[in-house]
Amino acid sequence: MTAFFTRLGAPVRGFLEFLGDQAHLVLRTLLHGITLRFNQLAVVGGQTKLQIQFTGLDAALLVVGTALLLGAVTLIQAFSQLSGLGAENYIGMLMVLIIVRELGPLLTAVLVIGRSSTAIAAELGAMQLNSEVDALAAHGVNPYQYLLLPRWLGVLVSVFALVVFFDAAALAGGFLVARLKYGITWGFFMESVRQVLSNLDFAATLLKVVFFSGAITFHACHFGLRIRRSQTEIPQAVTRTVVSALVAVFLIDGLIAALFYF
Amino acid sequence: MIEIRDLACHSPEGRPLMVGLNLDVRKGGTLLVTGASGSGKSRLLKVLAGTERPRFGTVRIAGIAIWPGDGALSLTGRVRMGFAFAAGGLLSNLSLEDNVALPLRFLGLPPSEVARRAGGALERLGLQSVARLRPHAVSGSARKHANLARVLALDPELVLLDEPLEGLDTTDRAIAQELIQEWAGNPACTLVMASEEAQIFSTLDAERLQLSPAPMPMESQ
Repeated sequence: MTAFFTRLGAPVRGFLEFLGDQAHLVLRTLLHGITLRFNQLAVVGGQTKLQIQFTGLDAALLVVGTALLLGAVTLIQAFSQLSGLGAENYIGMLMVLIIVRELGPLLTAVLVIGRSSTAIAAELGAMQLNSEVDALAAHGVNPYQYLLLPRWLGVLVSVFALVVFFDAAALAGGFLVARLKYGITWGFFMESVRQVLSNLDFAATLLKVVFFSGAITFHACHFGLRIRRSQTEIPQAVTRTVVSALVAVFLIDGLIAALFYF
Repeated sequence: MIEIRDLACHSPEGRPLMVGLNLDVRKGGTLLVTGASGSGKSRLLKVLAGTERPRFGTVRIAGIAIWPGDGALSLTGRVRMGFAFAAGGLLSNLSLEDNVALPLRFLGLPPSEVARRAGGALERLGLQSVARLRPHAVSGSARKHANLARVLALDPELVLLDEPLEGLDTTDRAIAQELIQEWAGNPACTLVMASEEAQIFSTLDAERLQLSPAPMPMESQ
């Protein structure tokens, strides 16, 4: 019996420790972010710009291409199933329900996890092994301000911009199909989207962007900074980051959907 | 400047390295930590730098508690510290010049002052020709000297040097030794240095701490 509880207790304790560490990282980053001095903004801003370039700009084409195809495929499938039932009347509802509310933020987060959280975890892990994080702290360069804060801000800005691009490109893909299939005009298409879209959708998307970017960044930082001994830990940390961040993003998505639409 | 009480440190495998260590180093003093490989010299330096948490004990730097406490973050903006690592320690995505300049930029010094101090330190260590290269593109001795240049540029109150002469040829050693002598003779600078080669520093006016490797624990059957 004791052995059973011991076996059960270890993962529970591990999970609670993980949650505690996440909370610690977020709070410390916020706290040290607030205490940032004006003359340190240039250094932190430079790091944030690099993160935005890697996570946002470099991924923009991938996100736009994926969204364009997804928007088109969504309407092709919808038309194939709903032909004869007046599918053209549901275009706006389909696009808002499937793309803007759910797939836009979710798939953007998945793409950013695949591209950027893996890179952040591997980079921080390599920095730990090379004593770079220790060197920063020892020389008065606060790692929360120099490493974590710019990554968080960079991912936040990038995820926000990518979600906007994703939704716009998906709507464009959907419109192309609607135009070719039913000869629908841009005005009619946008009007049907606008009728379904509400302020609640904007609020939910914004909340998702904030929480997704936090989960993506801090999961990567947690697993990257835990690397201590050997390079073989880096791929393990990257895998853990992907799995853990995906679970977190899906959980957050479910919670926000329940909170706003249930 | 440094006040250590009842310090205990263990190796990553859990082997005890130091137990009940008490130590005081006055401001402007010099401490040479010697001992065989694996005796805990580097670990002691990392504990003093606030980057490694000891198992027990208290460490205060300039009256500021770093253990128990926030480690190196407790000293940020209060005590200027420079740490030359035995290996690594330079940011691999920055040039040597930027590595030296980063702590100065973070201090909020104006760009002209940053350029003057970083340039002066790199020149003193003979690194001008490789200053724009990244650490992986230069020799091991250049990386070692870049670590020293970063410390020099900061003009620190506390200097921690881990095996500063290891792997250097005669010329590079002479440059590093001259710098070390200068720090040791500076009353505003407290120097703590770890080295296996105690005889090289036989002329250095320093307090000495000899660490012995703790016995390996017996494996249980």
